[in-house]
Amino acid sequence: MSDPKKPRAAFAPWDRREIPGAFTVEESARRVGNYKWIESRLFEVLGGWVATVPELDVKMRLGTHCYHHAWHAELWHKRLPELREMNPDRLTQPANDGIVAFVDAMTEPEAPELTIEKLVGVYRVLIPHKIAAYTYHLNNTSTITDAPTIRSLTFILQDEFEDWRDGEMLIQSLIESPADVERAAAHQASLEKLMVAAGGITGPGSIGTVPAPEAVTA
Amino acid sequence: MKHALPSEELARDERFVRNSFMARAADPRVTAMPAEKRNQRMPLSPDRADGPDAARALMHGIFTGEIQALEGAGRTCWDFPIGDGPDEAPFELKLDMARQCWDEARHCEISVKLGDWMGTEIGEFAESTFLYDAACNPDPVLRLTGVNRALEGLAIDVFNTMREFAEKSGDPLLGYCEDWMLADEVTHVKMGSDWLRRLTADDPDRRARALEFQKVVDKLFSIGGARGEEDDSPIRLARRFRELAGFRTEEIDEIAELSLQSRRELDSYREHAAAKQAAAAAGEA
Repeated sequence: MSDPKKPRAAFAPWDRREIPGAFTVEESARRVGNYKWIESRLFEVLGGWVATVPELDVKMRLGTHCYHHAWHAELWHKRLPELREMNPDRLTQPANDGIVAFVDAMTEPEAPELTIEKLVGVYRVLIPHKIAAYTYHLNNTSTITDAPTIRSLTFILQDEFEDWRDGEMLIQSLIESPADVERAAAHQASLEKLMVAAGGITGPGSIGTVPAPEAVTA
Repeated sequence: MKHALPSEELARDERFVRNSFMARAADPRVTAMPAEKRNQRMPLSPDRADGPDAARALMHGIFTGEIQALEGAGRTCWDFPIGDGPDEAPFELKLDMARQCWDEARHCEISVKLGDWMGTEIGEFAESTFLYDAACNPDPVLRLTGVNRALEGLAIDVFNTMREFAEKSGDPLLGYCEDWMLADEVTHVKMGSDWLRRLTADDPDRRARALEFQKVVDKLFSIGGARGEEDDSPIRLARRFRELAGFRTEEIDEIAELSLQSRRELDSYREHAAAKQAAAAAGEA
């Protein structure tokens, strides 16, 4: 029988969660607003593209992934008021003009013969950058104070990895010739340049060089 | 990518063949028949000599309809900016449409599997895009009404008909799949009804326009009386499931009446086409 009076430490020996983290409430809210903005643009374009791709398997995958990113946008939308932003629309913003230029270029392909370009933009450029930024956030935020964001990031990253794999396999199955390889690579390079210019999905510092931690007190 | 994609531009691979509803109605193989045969309708049943083929054709129609429903929901995510204006869609509405994309994508997958199961190849029957056409309205409320109340309402009727066909023919896989899809469609209709109420709460004119548009679409979706409550209706109006989805009795009565009108109009159109074709044949002779 356990002794109810025996004191125990608040943190079990295996629980290594820490305070502080790298982000203030304000910085976390800014990033979450950027996340909601990019997830919203992504689910919108995936939905729009469904009607423009003739490949049946791609059409159905885009429909499924459209919902995944809408759900991510919803999770971030609900997180914003918990980060002192009572008007979520105020922070639902692109990180900068560069990321807007990237999204404009990514959403440009429309014709039915441009499925490779559509998929490359999402699965070889945007989603890898989202995974990078989300992983950076997950690994640097306080595992105690920011646990709700961590929970969302964990669910979202699981989707992102699975969608990334789905999309990459679709791309590989569509690339059948050296000309296709060059097409995919050229489009990836042009979009990657725009993403680099933007500094990532939350702007410069998406995966590092974050504000100094002195603003955070233990 | 542009906003508002017309149905002619829906992307399909080479297996798919398109045919308009009116072209089907004026098919000389039908119009050349005597009037009583030409206008004959029969409930979907395994007892019919052509029962299995009719079920396969309907299943293929469900499959192409699901593709168009997926495309329509997807376009609603894209076509409207987020907002509360007349040309905008609220964020939460777009989230619902994204959810519907996932549901319709699963329905496409289920339909492909069922087509295989029933021995049908993709493209074996023609595709008509009148379902997607209802998803092209530039007013998001009218679009929702056309898609989530009229189109998804038709889906309820069709899935229920197929479920009953599965029971009669002893096909548990077909019955199982139709039952699951039916559950999703009831949810989609409820979603449409809820958004119609929310978005037009302070705008009775807009609500009236939306309901008028729904009538037009419901009449079109009666497919010349193929969907209705007559004894010979191939697709039965599923009153119980429509009530579950939030349709009022008088609304269902109205759809039944629209179906009767649609039946009369199709019969008359075929009669006219038959006379025209006969006159042309006589002229050639």
